[in-house]
Amino acid sequence: MGEAIVITSGKGGVGKTTTSANLGTALALQGKKVCLVDTDIGLRNLDVILGLENRIIYDLVDVVEERCKVHQALVKDKRFEDRLFLLPAAQTTDKSAVNPEQMKKLVLELKQDYDYVLIDCPAGIEQGFKNAISGADRAIVVTTPEISAVRDADRIIGLLEAEEELEPPKLIINRIRSGMMESGETLDVNEITTHLSIDLLGIVMDDQNVISASNKGEPVVMDPTNPAAIGYRNIARRILGESVPLMTMEKSKAGFFGKIKNMFSK
Amino acid sequence: MTKSQLITIKGTKDGLVLRLDDHCAFTELLSELKEKVQSSVLEGVSEVQLHLGHRYCDEKDMNKIQSVIHTSPHLRVSKVHSDVISLKECERKLIEKQSETYIGIVRSGQVVKADGDLVIIGDVNQSAQVIAGGSIYVLGRVKGIAHAGAQGNKDAVIAASWLEATHLKIADKIEIMTDELTILSEQPEMECAYLQKNGQIAIDRLQELRYLRPDLATFKGGI
Repeated sequence: MGEAIVITSGKGGVGKTTTSANLGTALALQGKKVCLVDTDIGLRNLDVILGLENRIIYDLVDVVEERCKVHQALVKDKRFEDRLFLLPAAQTTDKSAVNPEQMKKLVLELKQDYDYVLIDCPAGIEQGFKNAISGADRAIVVTTPEISAVRDADRIIGLLEAEEELEPPKLIINRIRSGMMESGETLDVNEITTHLSIDLLGIVMDDQNVISASNKGEPVVMDPTNPAAIGYRNIARRILGESVPLMTMEKSKAGFFGKIKNMFSK
Repeated sequence: MTKSQLITIKGTKDGLVLRLDDHCAFTELLSELKEKVQSSVLEGVSEVQLHLGHRYCDEKDMNKIQSVIHTSPHLRVSKVHSDVISLKECERKLIEKQSETYIGIVRSGQVVKADGDLVIIGDVNQSAQVIAGGSIYVLGRVKGIAHAGAQGNKDAVIAASWLEATHLKIADKIEIMTDELTILSEQPEMECAYLQKNGQIAIDRLQELRYLRPDLATFKGGI
């Protein structure tokens, strides 16, 4: 029996879907059997980021309404043999098409066959959020070093802590710009973790390749030298129970300079 | 006169003291009170203190007594003493005296309420609310909204290890903690907010609380 992890944030645009895609891919790279579930019904994106849009036949709502079997709706990512699957969200309806009980049942079914079920949560705290967290065992809260994102993360953590079935949520700080953080223009990692006072699962550097990789439908984590990819890979290893030291800013700087060097050497 | 007096009047330096018998029937008491009030020879206006003893009077009864006394133009009720209160009132007073403890972080959007005093062990984050009928004590940072004395208790205070709330409310007074406020300190460590006599919320060092609100102490006995 696997584990279901919901990836949520409250605020939109902080990188929930990107994080879901990359963590799923990273876990699959580690040899785990992973199923990604997109619960952002009506505004689905996860399929695009994984480059699987054109292979969708059935979706989550079809499964819930028993128009098809779960395995028929799952889209296989051919790059990972039989290790990475996606259950896409429906695009033609909205969040109210599914209720928490149905999601619970669905996730439970998926957990039988997969090591990890990663649930990509929509933004907000309404029905979509309630659906997404209903089947989860653990929660990961994604935030960026912006006050507005941290505020929303705080709200979400409050709601998650009220759920008795969930373990205490863990934090990912996404899109860190080391330069701005060092000069004090954004909140630093310490300030954010003290304010939210939950365990930090990892940090991910802001990198333009994340966007270009998403546009190509190839999660950035597949490039082992990319600083953002290293962040995601470290987080995946921590999810697997390894203790990996936190990436330091200096290291990321070296990565940054290394990248410039690479640019010149090309 | 065969029956004993139901009402005794005594003069003190603070005015007249009216001691009402607490064993007789209420109607008897009222009729004798009426007589006494009419017959007494008085000049000017005297303040009257009512001592009810062990008689329980609800608001209706009190109004009746007061209206009888006020039939005389020379008398004005200044104070009412009673040796008894209702169970309900007693319970309310007990609850307001009680202290409730919350351990954990009060996060954005959450509201923690207490009828009496409220002790928070943890932070109160931005746009979180803590509301208490009594005082609020926070072992941690207050960065959200704190409302002490929510039922109107003007003596309630808000004390915190780190007081940088966005809004402070005491009784019905609200203070918005903008940067323009001069009462704010750079390092709001170990501070307390209280309501001044002039109705303004003030902030002072936590150490001053023993002089500002000595009645908050419940500790009895010597060293």
